[in-house]
Amino acid sequence: MKNRKSYYSITALIAMILISVSCERKLDGLELATYPTTPEVFIDGFSTGLYYAAYGTSKVTAFDVDYSVKYKGTSSMKFAVPDTSDPNGSYVGGVFGTNPGRDLSSYNVLTFWAKASQPAVLNEIGFGNDMGESKYKVTLTNVTLNSNWMKYYIPIPDPSVLTQERGMLFYSAVHQNGRGYTFWIDEVQFENIGTIAHKTAGIANGQDLVKGGAENGEEYQIADLYAAFNLPTGIDQKVGLTTSYFTFSSSDPSVATVSNTGHVMVLDSGSVVITAKMGDIDAKGSLTINSIGQPIMPAEPAPTPTNPANNVISLYSNAYENVTVDTWNTHWLYSTAENQFIKINGDDAIRYRNLNFVGIEFTSQPIDASSMTNFRMDIWAPDVTAGKKFKVMLVDFGANGIYGGDDDVSSEVTISTPTLANEKWISLNIPMSSFTGLTTKSHLGQMVLSGDLPMVFVDNVYFYTNGAVPTEPTTAAPMPSYIGTNVLSVFSNSYTNIAGTDLNPNWGQATVTTQVSIAGNNTLKYKGLNYQGIQLGSSQNVSGMAFLHLDFWSANSTLLKVYLISTGPVEKPYILTVPTTGWNSLDIPLSSFSPVNLSDVIQLKFDGNGDIYLDNILFRK
Amino acid sequence: MKRFSKIMVSAAIYSFLLFALFGCETDNVQTLDKRNWQLAWSDEFDTVASGSLDTTKWSFDIGVGPNNDGWGNAELEYYTSRAENAVIDSNGFLAITAKRELYAGSGFTSARIKTKGLFEQAYGRFEARIKTPYGPGIWPAFWLLGANSDSVGWPQCGEIDLMELRGQKPNIISGTVHGPGYSGSASITKSFAYENVRFDNEFHLFAVEWGKDYLDFFVDNTLYQRITPENLTGTWVFDHPFYIILNVAVGGNYLGFPTNQTPFPQSMLVDYVRVYTEAK
Repeated sequence: MKNRKSYYSITALIAMILISVSCERKLDGLELATYPTTPEVFIDGFSTGLYYAAYGTSKVTAFDVDYSVKYKGTSSMKFAVPDTSDPNGSYVGGVFGTNPGRDLSSYNVLTFWAKASQPAVLNEIGFGNDMGESKYKVTLTNVTLNSNWMKYYIPIPDPSVLTQERGMLFYSAVHQNGRGYTFWIDEVQFENIGTIAHKTAGIANGQDLVKGGAENGEEYQIADLYAAFNLPTGIDQKVGLTTSYFTFSSSDPSVATVSNTGHVMVLDSGSVVITAKMGDIDAKGSLTINSIGQPIMPAEPAPTPTNPANNVISLYSNAYENVTVDTWNTHWLYSTAENQFIKINGDDAIRYRNLNFVGIEFTSQPIDASSMTNFRMDIWAPDVTAGKKFKVMLVDFGANGIYGGDDDVSSEVTISTPTLANEKWISLNIPMSSFTGLTTKSHLGQMVLSGDLPMVFVDNVYFYTNGAVPTEPTTAAPMPSYIGTNVLSVFSNSYTNIAGTDLNPNWGQATVTTQVSIAGNNTLKYKGLNYQGIQLGSSQNVSGMAFLHLDFWSANSTLLKVYLISTGPVEKPYILTVPTTGWNSLDIPLSSFSPVNLSDVIQLKFDGNGDIYLDNILFRK
Repeated sequence: MKRFSKIMVSAAIYSFLLFALFGCETDNVQTLDKRNWQLAWSDEFDTVASGSLDTTKWSFDIGVGPNNDGWGNAELEYYTSRAENAVIDSNGFLAITAKRELYAGSGFTSARIKTKGLFEQAYGRFEARIKTPYGPGIWPAFWLLGANSDSVGWPQCGEIDLMELRGQKPNIISGTVHGPGYSGSASITKSFAYENVRFDNEFHLFAVEWGKDYLDFFVDNTLYQRITPENLTGTWVFDHPFYIILNVAVGGNYLGFPTNQTPFPQSMLVDYVRVYTEAK
């Protein structure tokens, strides 16, 4: 390039354009630039007006001017990428900018030479980051460097808009496999190169996306924008860029509008295609929206269930205390289902749409439904016609309590018309015996809803029993599997318990304490609990332990606390969640009992109400 | 970037301003002999309706070469006569298209057409208006081969390459002759480069003017190489009829292999091929 200086006088500017651009440039229509057109960013030092700002959380000392390593001239830019463990920052990144901005509209590419101390991937480099709006940011990602100097090109998607650009160069880089490296950049400048060709652009990564079942008021953001160019080396290069380079249009703005930042808003029913142009190039890719318009909703909430709370294990209902459900939509592969938690006249409900199938999981606390007689679910659907089906599958994880192994069982029940009815709440009360393949029911972990109803509202999901409330566990407490040397046991069949411990000291309590056999396992039972102590055989130092472990079961307790007590007495309660669905195994961090002196624990205490079954009370590492 | 030297020829009858080549300096003038060219043969590729090549003018080479060696160059493509590899497109251009696809044991397909046995001529002006394909490992060519190739073999038959392009250098073409004592890497060759223009962006005219003792190579009517018997390190064999070949090769010894970044498919578009004889 011949023009190494900035020209501010009008005559000089016109003369320069004539020389550098072409011989055929017409003078009429030539606009006078009001910002400098300096092409150099860094040749052998900072160009006029250039400043550097490192990203706040980066290693700010990583950039330096290197006078020994350079591609050309006297110096280059050196970037020392730190190890991932560097306490001064684990990455490098920053912005080289000018203020005022520059007029870059006569260039078509930012070029630079670069190399690295080892083969490396430079994560991000580009221009148009002005540390503000960064309206015309262009980013090259995952740039491969090696130990030879190579020329790199970042084409300008539409030079005509860069009339006062402040962001000359930005970058960010992280370690390679944990270890730092160094890279150098030199001869950074904007150029106008005729051998960059075949410009294309795209939205949505060039894909034609279709969004079905859209509704009024829904919004989408057009994303994954790119521009692509063929470099002088014959290879195609994609750059990421901001929406400001594009103009978006909607094939029917009465159905959906699109803003100049690619924000789409659905207004009415119908089909609409969102497309874009970059300058005068049609962008590849589109977003088709098929809108149903105003969604159909139930006018009334689902009926309030009437089963006694003691007879219910509820997953979703305002009428009961609900157990933990990990997710109401697992988003499994090929599932198109979307879920929303909505309110109908103040009553919570779940709305599924685009439902082909949906997974629901409660694996972190599997449900013991072995004493339940029925599964209940209220559904409302607006697309019910003769022959439509709705399916409920329950999955039990078996004795190991986790997915997999050889002990998982599942069973599916299909509900058809006329049980299904259109736009009406239907209360499904499915006998557990209808889930014929569900041979075990004490570790239920998943539910799968499917069928051919694309939209289903769901409420009051619970198991219940028509019979008497179970008064004692039907299964033994889970067998603990901790190594004996890591355990200090108070009450367990699996370990040696602290000698001389009194499980029923007379502290004036009303509680009736016995030991009973549950499925052949010796279990501690508190009947009619008000409070109950355990006097350890001797003072115990448990400061080397991490948890107090216990298994507890109660069908009717509404309040239960466990205490540790050290000499003083100093005591601290921990609240246990009751009633339980089956056995609840809990590890309570001993730190929860501060300020109890963990090197001098002498007693445990429970208080609350109801009938409680306890087992495997122990301290463990 | 290679630069070629200026060639000045006597008798200032017509001249060119070499804008693209040398910028705006107006003192770069080429002066060449005037010749009276009479059209002897041409294909304008106007059979848009059928899309098929005129088989009275062209035949196809099929496969990977007679010795299964990628046509002597370790090329990767399989040449077919299918429309997807060679067709007259709706704009009236011959499109020879290289595709990345598995076909008959090869990883790429393309096409190679020739006038062998259909049109052969010694001397005159051969020209074609071409828009090249691009990308690493893409090798388009417009060339002539001695019609006695089957009897005397290569390189005794002679070869005149009017245009060869390496897709990784889309702004550079080469003109070359091969013959006994100057073939392969010892061929007589020269490159022509536009600093700021690519041959795949628009059409360019490639021509050779062939007389009893000279071969003049032109790009866009700019002479960039004259080869005479004195330039050769062997015998002048350009004294008998030659036929025309158009093809797009993929990979090979000349330029290396395509990469994951090579865009496919890639088409060479040919507006026309014209051959003239000189009327004295």
